[in-house]
Amino acid sequence: MMEREAEHMANTVIGSSIVIDGEISGEEDLVVQGTVKGKISLKESLFVEGSGIVEADIQTQNVEVAGKVTGNINASQKVELKSDCRVVGDIRAPRILIADGASFKGNVDMDAKGR
Amino acid sequence: MAQSEQVGIIGKGIVIKGNLTGGGDLVIEGRVEGQIALKNHLTIESTGNVQADIEADELTINGEASGNIDASSKVAINASAKVAGDIKAPRVVIEDGAVFNGSIEMEVKLPEDV
Amino acid sequence: MATNKEMTGGAAGATVIGPTITINGKLSGDEDLTVRGRVEGEVTLTKTLFLEVSGVVKANVSVKNAVISGVVVGNVRATESVELTKEGRMVGDIAAPRVILVDGASFRGRIEMGDASVSRAAGDRVGRPARVSARPSAPPRPPPPPRAEARGMANSKSTVTPILSKMESKSPPVPPALAAGKRKVVVRKRER
Repeated sequence: MMEREAEHMANTVIGSSIVIDGEISGEEDLVVQGTVKGKISLKESLFVEGSGIVEADIQTQNVEVAGKVTGNINASQKVELKSDCRVVGDIRAPRILIADGASFKGNVDMDAKGR
Repeated sequence: MAQSEQVGIIGKGIVIKGNLTGGGDLVIEGRVEGQIALKNHLTIESTGNVQADIEADELTINGEASGNIDASSKVAINASAKVAGDIKAPRVVIEDGAVFNGSIEMEVKLPEDV
Repeated sequence: MATNKEMTGGAAGATVIGPTITINGKLSGDEDLTVRGRVEGEVTLTKTLFLEVSGVVKANVSVKNAVISGVVVGNVRATESVELTKEGRMVGDIAAPRVILVDGASFRGRIEMGDASVSRAAGDRVGRPARVSARPSAPPRPPPPPRAEARGMANSKSTVTPILSKMESKSPPVPPALAAGKRKVVVRKRER
């Protein structure tokens, strides 16, 4: 099994002691190990690692959550909730993977085609 | 040709109060109060203390200077310098260790989306 | 599950904002920050800000050190040093005990080093370090977050703290006798 949490090949990493209160947007992958409150909007993938806390609405291509997310997730390709993650919010994506051990509360809508 | 060889030196014990103007280079090791207008290079040595508005082509400061500075090429504030005042020049260099309080106006080209 | 970069506080924290990322809001943290993209709003760090050539910061910045090779529009306060490298461009005010402008850097604004007693021994000419005034843009800076304050600033050089924290009511180090310009030695019994 690929342990993808240690180092995702992303250019942007929000370290564990960083707190961002605002909006993040971009066209590259983003790894969150710290705290983000507000809004995240990416054309690529978002990785919320184990220490990451995201209180924001998320709109990206892919999302992989191993930490905490409170907010609605809107992905054009796939959302993956890994074990030990905690997600509260609605998820909208054509593909969703929820691992054993993940904690999730919200609605799931897989009808989001052609976003 | 003669101009660039002329270097005026104001020695350590000298105090000048008034206006200084000239076309050659000037080195100040003493004290000057008033106004300075040079066409070339002014150097304020580490023992120098200038309380004046300065106009020059290029300025090298190793000592104390207080006043407005207008240079047409470059101002270098070196490590032993203590400068207070407003500086207008196309190039300004501040070395680690220098003390400066005041404003600097250089041309700053910002990208369009800033 | 293998934990990730939470290993050590200082070394592991290497936050990088990539070139296509824009952050609009407040950013704070206890680690170094490298910006290659764009940050607008406010940046507060207890460590060093590295603004690379492609980076743009349109914000008030409050850090320990700043190395600027990109564009800054806003005020920068640092407890230790600010360096503008030869590609650095800045419009705004700088308040720091050490400021380095490398030949080629462009800058427009004020620089207040106070009496910079961090790098020099004496020199109480200026007395109280000047407050940064005449901001080109940006609203007044709110006080820095308490945790950054308590951790780093408590034992920093006393002449620098008045710049950063008006909240801390530390009296300036200049005894009134010296500031008045008269040579007067006042000997008082101090209780420890």
